[in-house]
Amino acid sequence: MADTVIDVHEHGAAGHDDHHHDQGWVGKYLLSTDHKIIAMQYLFTGMFMGIIGGFMAYVFRMQLAFPGISVPGFGQVSPGEYNALVTNHGTIMIFWVAMPVLIAAFGNFLIPLMIGADDMVFPRINRLSYQIFFVSAVVLLISLVVEGGGFGGAWTAYPPLSSMSEYNQTQLGATLWLLAVALEFVAFLLGGINFITTLMNARAPGMKAYDIPLVCWMIVIASILFMLSVGPLIAGAVMLLFDQVLGTGFYDPARGGDPILWQHLFWFFGHPEVYVVLLPAIGITVDVIATFARKKIFGYKMVLYTAVATGVLSFFVWAHHQFIAGIDPRMANVFTITTLLISVPIAEMCFVIIATLYGGSITLTTPMLWALAFMAEFLIGGVTGIFLGASGADIYFHDTYFVLAHFHYTFFPIAIIGTFCAFTYWFPKMFGRMMNDTLGKIHFWGTIIPFNVIFIPLFVLGMGGQHRRIYNYEHFPELAGPEMYQLRQIATIALLVMLAFQLVFFYNMIVSWMRGEKAGRNPWKANTLEWTTESPPPHGNWPPDRMPVVYRGPYEYGHPDREEDYWPQDQPS
Amino acid sequence: MSENNTEHHGDGHEGGHHVNYFAIYVALVVLFLISVAGPEVGERTGLRWITLITAFGIAVVKANLVINNFMHLRWEKRLMKWMLATSVILMLLMVAGISPDVLNHEGRNWENVAAMEATARGLGEDDHGEGEEVVVADAGEAEPAGFNAAASFGTICATCHGTGGRGDGPAGAALDPAPADFTEAVFWEDRDRERILTVIRDGGAAVGGSPLMAPWAALYTAEQLEEMADYVMSFRPE
Amino acid sequence: MAHAKPLATTRSATGIPTGRLAVWWVLASEVVIFGGLLGSYVMHRIGHPEWAAAAAHTQTWVGALNTFVLLTSSFTAVLGHQAAERGDGKAAAKFLGFTILGALTFLVVKGFEWANEITHGYTITANTFWSFYYTAAGLHALHVIAGAIIMGFVAVDAFRGRELHRVELIGIYWHFVDVVWIFLFPLLYIAK
Repeated sequence: MADTVIDVHEHGAAGHDDHHHDQGWVGKYLLSTDHKIIAMQYLFTGMFMGIIGGFMAYVFRMQLAFPGISVPGFGQVSPGEYNALVTNHGTIMIFWVAMPVLIAAFGNFLIPLMIGADDMVFPRINRLSYQIFFVSAVVLLISLVVEGGGFGGAWTAYPPLSSMSEYNQTQLGATLWLLAVALEFVAFLLGGINFITTLMNARAPGMKAYDIPLVCWMIVIASILFMLSVGPLIAGAVMLLFDQVLGTGFYDPARGGDPILWQHLFWFFGHPEVYVVLLPAIGITVDVIATFARKKIFGYKMVLYTAVATGVLSFFVWAHHQFIAGIDPRMANVFTITTLLISVPIAEMCFVIIATLYGGSITLTTPMLWALAFMAEFLIGGVTGIFLGASGADIYFHDTYFVLAHFHYTFFPIAIIGTFCAFTYWFPKMFGRMMNDTLGKIHFWGTIIPFNVIFIPLFVLGMGGQHRRIYNYEHFPELAGPEMYQLRQIATIALLVMLAFQLVFFYNMIVSWMRGEKAGRNPWKANTLEWTTESPPPHGNWPPDRMPVVYRGPYEYGHPDREEDYWPQDQPS
Repeated sequence: MSENNTEHHGDGHEGGHHVNYFAIYVALVVLFLISVAGPEVGERTGLRWITLITAFGIAVVKANLVINNFMHLRWEKRLMKWMLATSVILMLLMVAGISPDVLNHEGRNWENVAAMEATARGLGEDDHGEGEEVVVADAGEAEPAGFNAAASFGTICATCHGTGGRGDGPAGAALDPAPADFTEAVFWEDRDRERILTVIRDGGAAVGGSPLMAPWAALYTAEQLEEMADYVMSFRPE
Repeated sequence: MAHAKPLATTRSATGIPTGRLAVWWVLASEVVIFGGLLGSYVMHRIGHPEWAAAAAHTQTWVGALNTFVLLTSSFTAVLGHQAAERGDGKAAAKFLGFTILGALTFLVVKGFEWANEITHGYTITANTFWSFYYTAAGLHALHVIAGAIIMGFVAVDAFRGRELHRVELIGIYWHFVDVVWIFLFPLLYIAK
């Protein structure tokens, strides 16, 4: 093990962070520019926000199932509070959980390691993007407790509800909410540029484009999608901010503005955004499946090209969120066709995954279970989207719980299942210890089964005409029947069960981190470069004179000529 | 750790590129002058196409000169050109997709009355700008000048109360108790204008009625509340 | 807190130096931000011919002056790049200094222009045309300010003979700011 510290770099040899300068705790952890530490910061901030978002879901589901109840841990839910809860649940889960965990945390951790680099190409900008993100989270949390309460105009923030405080009754909350989202966008723009540039330029010698693990591709394609789609919304958000704070009329028809413009700007971003979070989850799933099926991905290029195609197509479908908003019906025809088309590339990816599994030597470890569950649950989400994409059917379904169940069947696999899949798979690399597989499986089943019991009733309720964003169905006689309440209660109780099982995960995480079996470098016998260094990797990832060189693709499993069923990328032969 | 400053010139700048930056600058200035003079000509002759070509056409040419020569995109790897082209094309796509909605003030079954009125007001205006529209930045002016109680009733109240005040609005049908019928004499037996005003301002619960009738004090000024009460009184049968 | 540049930053699998690659991506994201704002403006403007009355009050000659100032500052910026290529840090810093001077001139002129317009009642809330005017020009001005500040740091480094490659990078950003104004000028000042 080289003990000499090379001039150019300040890396220590083995073990942890031996710097020239003794950085102290603050320098090493709080203000670190090391991509792995920044990844942890994003991960834990995201998890913390996920707990808050989950708590919000608990409160509003209790109100829906037992109207008027004093919810334990919260109290009685007023209509304004209900609106703030559902609004911020959605906002937090998408912007402060799904994106930071799937893209920022795992992207930061994995990309330099998987491409054989010692860090991101701009470590200080990396740190800055986390700091901005952290501030955005703080601003959002503050918006919940200021006078007037948190913003309750839905995560879609349509004006005039969102632009005029007489309507939304939360003048301060609405503005802070908007500022928080804007800051989050800036943080992810900065981070995205880092990821894209790193992947494009900083690859290990010998790593050609098709040798890059798919999860890295997916995260970078997602970053590109985000960057290209968020611009118009940033412009729109500035206009909305001015409407809120200065009294301009950008979205006021009486003054020459147009509220439909906001809708278009929002959804021009909003639709690609769902693919921004989907693609990394698919990347994670694919990598995990290859490892635990001991088989090459059936079509690496197919997955890559369909990901790009999906990304491109995702810019052409946005108005399917606005079918009944009064848009030009001729545009509705166009968007129906494109929306139905976009299911094709995703279906292709499903087929590739199934073909990869077929004939593979499958081990059902916890990460593998999560990966398989992702496919199954997302499939349900995907096919229910087809009903919504048909503008005729959407006339009935729009704004009902059918939509809500559809997007939870897509978002939950993405944000929650995808996270657990990645976390249980890369935990050994991140923390140097193995998680307990039995507890992992208990947590898995305790999450998946209740998840379905929550949302299948919501499909039924949606088909029955139950509209979204209503805090008390007692005011609507046709929706206040006992069968409907029963369904709501079943869903809510399932949520309580699911939340309880998350304690198993936290217990597992903490105990494994403290006392788990030591992981070694490559417990899963996987091929990609992150498994060639120590667990956890030292600062600089590899000794500077022994940076990896790549000789083959990332999924060479089960090669017929070899004795071993895996073939790491950095082994010369 | 030392920066090798000249090292980067092998990559990306294929061969040497020798541009006379001064010549480009002169070209830009000349184009700029044309782009300012052109619209003047266009204005005076009334030939709008002169304005369009000189102002916007030249803008495109100038931008191209700057992008290719000053930013060296001409010599950059193709990848970057594609990427920038993609973002521009995306914007054109966005405008194409949004225009049918934002450019129209009417559909097949509806009209954007507010926008059409604003346009008419503006076009009939004198030079001093839209007098009615000069709103001092009061971040909350819900109504522009010229409050119309009937229009406000139609926008705010009719969904429950119905445009004719019969309690037959589409949202009202789902409520329990349903909104009353203002045109029925029985409704007015124990109600006077004072009570109507109170209910509009403070909500139904304030008079011991249904909380489904929301308070609207935040939306209306005191005078506007009076006008709304008058409007509701107008449904009262003789 | 000294952080050595990682090995990663010096690699270049695409052949484009990392810094320049990153600046191009920044520009791509800026294109869609300004594109979104200007696209929204254009759509509204076409749909509201009555805004011509408001637009008539923009001061074309002041806008033209600022266009000329920015064009010239782009020229000095590229001269700075030329100097940096030769390794002449002090000359590069001088040219960047002129560019910053151009930026300041632009901002001062705009300051007077806006003060004039505001005192005549053309405020951001006067009319939605003016709302767009101040928002678009304001967003652009913010980019001018940010660019000038960063350019200052780069110039100081260049003067000391350090990080000369950054002269080109800030130059590319600056030219972009110029290009945005090239389109803003006809949109806000000429299209009456």
